[in-house]
Amino acid sequence: MPETPFKVRVKQALLNPTLRGALERFAADYVVAREKVFTGRDFEGLRNKIASIKSAAALQLRELGEEFARQVTLRGGKVFFARDAASAREYVLKVAKEHGVTLVVKSKSFATEEIQLNEYLAEHGIVSYETDLAEWILQLMPGERPSHMVMPAIHLPKEEVAKVLSRYKGRPVEPDIKTMVRIAREELRDKFLTAGLGITGANIAVAETGTIILFTNEGNARLATTLPPVHIAVVGYEKLVPRIKDVLPILEALPRSGTAQPITSYVTMITGPVPVGGAGGVALKEFHVVLLDNGRLEMARDPVFREALQCIRCAACTNVCPVFQLVSGQVYGFIYSGGIGSILTAFLNSLKQAQNPQSLCIGCRRCTEVCPAKINIPDLVLELRKRIAREHGLPFSYRLALRGVVARPKLMQGILALGKKLQRPVTGGQPFIRSLPGPYKAWTEGRSLPALSSRSLREKIRDLEKSPVRPRLTAAFYAGCVIDFIYPEIGEAIFKVMQGAGVQVSFPLDQACCGAPALYAGDIETALKLARRNIAALEEAFTDVIITACPTCAVALKHKLPSLLSCEPGWYERALGIAAKVKDFNELVQEMEVSFPGFSTGERIKITYHDSCHYKRHLGLAQVAREVLRRYQGVELVEMQESDRCCGFGGSYTLKYPEISRALLERKLHHILESGASIVVTDCPGCLVQLRGGLDKVSSPVLAKHTAEILATEQDL
Amino acid sequence: MGALTTRVKDVQEMKNEILEFLKLRGRRVAVAVSPFLKRANLEAALKEAGFEVETAGDTFAREADTGIVEFDLGVAETGTLVHDATDLYKRLASMLPLNCVAVLPASRIVSDMVQAFEHYLTQKNWPGYLAFVTGPSRTADIERSLTIGVHGPECLLIVVVEEGEGSNAGDPL
Repeated sequence: MPETPFKVRVKQALLNPTLRGALERFAADYVVAREKVFTGRDFEGLRNKIASIKSAAALQLRELGEEFARQVTLRGGKVFFARDAASAREYVLKVAKEHGVTLVVKSKSFATEEIQLNEYLAEHGIVSYETDLAEWILQLMPGERPSHMVMPAIHLPKEEVAKVLSRYKGRPVEPDIKTMVRIAREELRDKFLTAGLGITGANIAVAETGTIILFTNEGNARLATTLPPVHIAVVGYEKLVPRIKDVLPILEALPRSGTAQPITSYVTMITGPVPVGGAGGVALKEFHVVLLDNGRLEMARDPVFREALQCIRCAACTNVCPVFQLVSGQVYGFIYSGGIGSILTAFLNSLKQAQNPQSLCIGCRRCTEVCPAKINIPDLVLELRKRIAREHGLPFSYRLALRGVVARPKLMQGILALGKKLQRPVTGGQPFIRSLPGPYKAWTEGRSLPALSSRSLREKIRDLEKSPVRPRLTAAFYAGCVIDFIYPEIGEAIFKVMQGAGVQVSFPLDQACCGAPALYAGDIETALKLARRNIAALEEAFTDVIITACPTCAVALKHKLPSLLSCEPGWYERALGIAAKVKDFNELVQEMEVSFPGFSTGERIKITYHDSCHYKRHLGLAQVAREVLRRYQGVELVEMQESDRCCGFGGSYTLKYPEISRALLERKLHHILESGASIVVTDCPGCLVQLRGGLDKVSSPVLAKHTAEILATEQDL
Repeated sequence: MGALTTRVKDVQEMKNEILEFLKLRGRRVAVAVSPFLKRANLEAALKEAGFEVETAGDTFAREADTGIVEFDLGVAETGTLVHDATDLYKRLASMLPLNCVAVLPASRIVSDMVQAFEHYLTQKNWPGYLAFVTGPSRTADIERSLTIGVHGPECLLIVVVEEGEGSNAGDPL
């Protein structure tokens, strides 16, 4: 497989220890600091407020823009409606030229980066100075990319900064942070005092009053809006809110989410032109706002992606993103990074350009827990994937695997049966594939791949289906591919526990893949085909409930099927009927109050629990699993660090980005081993593939088990 | 929030406190004249103590060691100072020098941002330049190491004056 430039960038980032170290330390501190700064506050209430203000605003951006412009004009300022980047740039240049400007001071603004303003002004002989310390340093390093939206130079050690400043000053500068900050102050103060134009962005724009609001810690935006005689603010439409009071919840959430500060050192609200000094005494300055569309209004018309306009650019999502922490903003390639960045890139740049950045999302949903605007980023990324697949087609390997195999269950079973025989030379009869040759080598680095089970669950089913006398409940077990073909022992455990509790369990043989791999790759055609097949198969079982033991399958059956089939009358109702019956194994155990004897003798075994992303954040069952395990005598639950951090599996993600997957796994394994537990328990067979494979690679005696396997154990493990 | 805060009884004590602060911080002082500071006769006291005081001009506050500004409100919840800084000198005195003294009558301390917003909403027009200041100017852009005084003041002294403008209401900063 030839490496794309994008994948090369990913690898380079992973191999950069300074970058990774800085981001990982920040990420660890951020989680703690954020928690603290929101203590005693109703975060859910706050983000509901922001989501409702911003979602309503997204529906009337044009009107808000007009009202905003009316108010700015009334106060003596000017508003230019810029349809695209080019018209925005040209307007700024025109204003600059009218005033004979040769020097510009800028306060950090994504919007001006988006329209590549600095480069454009430079082409026309106007020099722009970034005045945010990090941006200024990066500006002195041609070719260097920002690594983080809020802290663009987080990847640079102070020694590196000292080198840059030494070059700039033409004399040696000590790598002392205080000294370097002082140099920046002096150098930039001079620019502030001589610049003819100050350019800023805005964090919020208020239609009711025509106010723009800027958040900074350094105070550079204050100087840029106070000293030069002309101020231009380049503001994206999505920054508009209707009323001045709408600022309050954003003011509360933005600094807390961005840098875990109760408030930034400075919050500046500018309404119309204000007095400015100069040789001729005090005069009124000129105040312009460039209201930037550049794809935003199209986004606002899109019923799905409109949601992304709720973003307040705090970067909380990237601060908790396990993938971002490994690769940094340098890899995403465009102005806006992370999952939300890929969505914005699709509209502000193009769908095609969003293709690589969006593919980095592993779908762990950690961002959904912290987004102060309540944006469902992972679902939007999936929607993006769907559209990219529709417009640009699926990659060949995906098409072959999904449409050629997964969409044809009989063929897939045949291939797997053949695979069982063919794998022997690589497995040597072991349950693992420990190394693969040539281009597939990366797949088995840091983690062994699982071997196919010698007998799939469906082959064992005749021995398992027993019917208890007068069953309390009838259930169909929906196994999913991993349990069916790789870990049938989990299925056996479920039959055992459920039958012991008086449940009559059956296994509908027509069940096929839940469609999640197709769905997450954007292949709706295959997902639909499988959805219909599974609905028919599960209906035929005529049971009270449908048991799942894989959260990805559960999410597919419970949530994805009805939404996939929402436009197909008849099928939609049937999908809802199935969805209503789906029960996770632990949920059912808890509801039925199943009791377990546990171990007959001896000491309690230490276990630790790994939260599967889908299990915790999609199904919301993290506590249920723990309660079930605690009720089980004989084990002691010890919590590992970061138990809800993604293990790096992510289905086909682990094959697409094996290096990222491996780095995530290494951190997970470290926490598991540090916990001192002898068994790591989880409720996701996908996570088990990753955890068992990783533990095998490091020859650890620690076992990885599904909760069902623990509950089915009567004697010492 | 990284600011020095002192609470004084009256304007006389305020002046003493400010003079004490200025002692080690250079001789040039930029004062943004406002009714409260005027009534307190601050300018005269500073001059008497030998400081070079400026209150206006083209190069106001550019070379000053300390700027002195009265603020409209204090927000107890976050330790934030608020002022309508449409007046150019208020802005310059609080932005340019390395030191800043913020004077705040205790009666103007409100509990939270909602109240601060209410205060300005009662005015006919929303202020042209409304500034919220919390602690000194800071950056963590190099190795996330917190460093103060990057573009604005490195040292911020807040002097809360108990008497002098109505009664004392609200919480201390």
